[in-house]
Amino acid sequence: MSASQTDVEESLTCQCGCGLTVHACNHLQCPSRGPLQNEIAEQLALGKTKPEVLSYFAGKYGEKILAAPTTTGFNLIAWIMPFAVVFLAAVLIVVLTRRWRRPAPVVGPSTPADDDPELRARLDAELRGFDA
Amino acid sequence: MIELGALALRLALVAAVYAVLAAVAGARLRRTDVVASSRAAAYAVNGLVVVATAVLLRALLQHDFSLEYVAAYSSSTLPTQYVAAALWGGQQGSLLFWTLLLTTMSTLVHLQNRDRNQALMPYVTTTLMTTAIFFLALTVFVTDPFERLPVPAREGADLNPLLQNYWMMIHPPSLYLGYVGCSVPFAFGMAALVTGRLGDVWIRTTRRWTLFAWFFLTIGNLLGARWAYEVLGWGGYWAWDPVENAAFMPWLACTAFLHSVMIQEKRNMLKMWNMVLVLLTFTLTIFGTFLTRGGVVSSVHSFTQSGLGPFFIGFLGVVIAVSVALLYLRRPLLRSENEIDSFLSREGAFLFNNLLLVGIAFATFWGTVFPVISEAVRGIKITVGPPFFNKVNTPLGLALLFMIGVGPVIAWRRSTARNLRRNFTIPIVAGVLTGVALLGAGLVGNYYAIVCFSLAAFVIATIVLEFYRGTRARQALMGEPPATALVHLVNKNRRRYGGYIIHVGVVLAFVGIAASAAFRVEEQRTMRAGDTVEVGGFALTYKGMRQADNPHVASMLAEIEVARGGRVIATMFPEKRFYKRQQQPTTEVAMRTTWREDLYLVLGSYDQESGLMTLQAFINPLVIWIWIGGIVMVLGTVVSVLPTAAEQRALAAALAVEERGLAVWSE
Repeated sequence: MSASQTDVEESLTCQCGCGLTVHACNHLQCPSRGPLQNEIAEQLALGKTKPEVLSYFAGKYGEKILAAPTTTGFNLIAWIMPFAVVFLAAVLIVVLTRRWRRPAPVVGPSTPADDDPELRARLDAELRGFDA
Repeated sequence: MIELGALALRLALVAAVYAVLAAVAGARLRRTDVVASSRAAAYAVNGLVVVATAVLLRALLQHDFSLEYVAAYSSSTLPTQYVAAALWGGQQGSLLFWTLLLTTMSTLVHLQNRDRNQALMPYVTTTLMTTAIFFLALTVFVTDPFERLPVPAREGADLNPLLQNYWMMIHPPSLYLGYVGCSVPFAFGMAALVTGRLGDVWIRTTRRWTLFAWFFLTIGNLLGARWAYEVLGWGGYWAWDPVENAAFMPWLACTAFLHSVMIQEKRNMLKMWNMVLVLLTFTLTIFGTFLTRGGVVSSVHSFTQSGLGPFFIGFLGVVIAVSVALLYLRRPLLRSENEIDSFLSREGAFLFNNLLLVGIAFATFWGTVFPVISEAVRGIKITVGPPFFNKVNTPLGLALLFMIGVGPVIAWRRSTARNLRRNFTIPIVAGVLTGVALLGAGLVGNYYAIVCFSLAAFVIATIVLEFYRGTRARQALMGEPPATALVHLVNKNRRRYGGYIIHVGVVLAFVGIAASAAFRVEEQRTMRAGDTVEVGGFALTYKGMRQADNPHVASMLAEIEVARGGRVIATMFPEKRFYKRQQQPTTEVAMRTTWREDLYLVLGSYDQESGLMTLQAFINPLVIWIWIGGIVMVLGTVVSVLPTAAEQRALAAALAVEERGLAVWSE
């Protein structure tokens, strides 16, 4: 089995309902894996490249057979979104933390006086935490 | 007897509704007796669910096939341990089991907090019991485990053969414990929002619960992977299947939460973010159950189809709406009390660790739901499978691995050049040397894997350095011998060193995953008795076929002699089974595991007439290190969950401040 046969098999979804790739599906009496493998081999034997074989399968069986979305049109959103979200979140972190640098307003009733022994105990505990 | 179970569930539902109403009323009216009655009702819910579960379990063990559930998921020839496991093998049972775990945890939480957190507890009760109401209502009104068949069946249909495996005995309970465990920190988070007590008490109170939930989510994920590896027989352990993603996403969110609460504890920052994370974790556990039980997506792990989807979506909608409204209302109180001084700091590193964990969770979520989006928008069905997840999550995962090295050792507030040099010179050298050595050794082709190994060396070096320096310091200070110093070092700060141990486990898992993903060798060959096939240094000779038969299963075993370097090292028996009751064939993988690699054999097909057998052989390098990494994570969690005196004092101090506030508040 050539590397590119495996490569194509890993890029196509088996149609037996297992949700695995053609390469991974090992359902007994799987009606779809064997024929698909043969078809891949035939296509590769015609001298086609991987993208050409994949587009042949997408044309014949519908886009659903591709194990990953294509990188064109609407499907591009699938690929861009995760990185875009991480990037935007990183920007957001930087912007928000800049804003924190302005002093925060004092809130809540539980701001005891400086000489509060309990607060002192808590402060000491936290300082110990820092040292540890 | 069955009626008792059904009755218990109905009473439990009533009691849970009472618990919610009484808890809210008691808190609003400041009536401790009413609050106490809500607590009693929560205990009653738990007791009643225990009764219902016991009744169902008894029906299973007695093979009462008049019960639809028993007839659908077990049989009289099913081995007893799997009959018991059928309790969570089907939909109704698994929802009941979920409720059992939830109400039992609720009881533990109430017992732990009998005299503590008086202000928070009524709302903790409310949150936990509202969740219980949802699951109880499902089992009472929608998918009743105690439904009778119109005519009792003579024999059961049996448990799905794929579930008849010992990993299946422990994988679902473990995952459920993780899922359900996440509702405890969530309940305290909600209570903190409602009462406006947004200090770190809720976080310190639930730290162990969060770790508990995380621990079981981790184990649940690993056991699921192990189960897939052994049972599904396609040579791998993770296929980015929707149900796998369902278990992975809450784990990511919970991991982020575990880390970011440390920033709130130490620096009083990220209060809002921690609330968001605990909400996210909880909703992802419900979403995960929905994916598994909702029947929206097809999956190899999903063993039920049902119309529960809309109920889960409805519940998720309510949870998100209420939580977001509360977050919005409490916005002013969630403001940070400190500022971040520099991104080159522990706080900065943790922020980016959170970003990456949540980023991976989002990418996984996005890939899981994108087919639904595509169909809705374009009307075209598409598949988002392993190639997508691998491409998107690998770079994010490697960045995360880098942060595992940086986060724990970089200084708080602001790192100086000296601090960076001191902590990172040796690790960076270790990482670069590893990469160069691997490239030099001719390991080219998969650069992601090499980057992963280099980063692994970098992280391990930071951790070893931490242990080494800590031990040396104690030796110098206390004059202790090295071993004693090391033990005391860990004991004095279990949380920190336990965390390092967990990180070592994570790194080992990363290495195992990278190696087995990048350097797998496989071969498929149709053979006649006496044929030999060479795969990655192993010579596999097919000796012949054996057969075995019992009332439950018939099986065929191929005898494969394994030789290496001309010497026979093992005989392996990849197997095909035929489960008679379900008329379903299954594959039983034969595996030979060493520190270096797994030899993984699958009997593909066998033709009796021609005597031709198709063998699939996989050599998966370093897979065992994934499981070893899991065990190390377990050890690390045990170390870090043991309480230390300093931590007890910190909680006591936080509670004291809180109680004082409470006294002021109720005046």
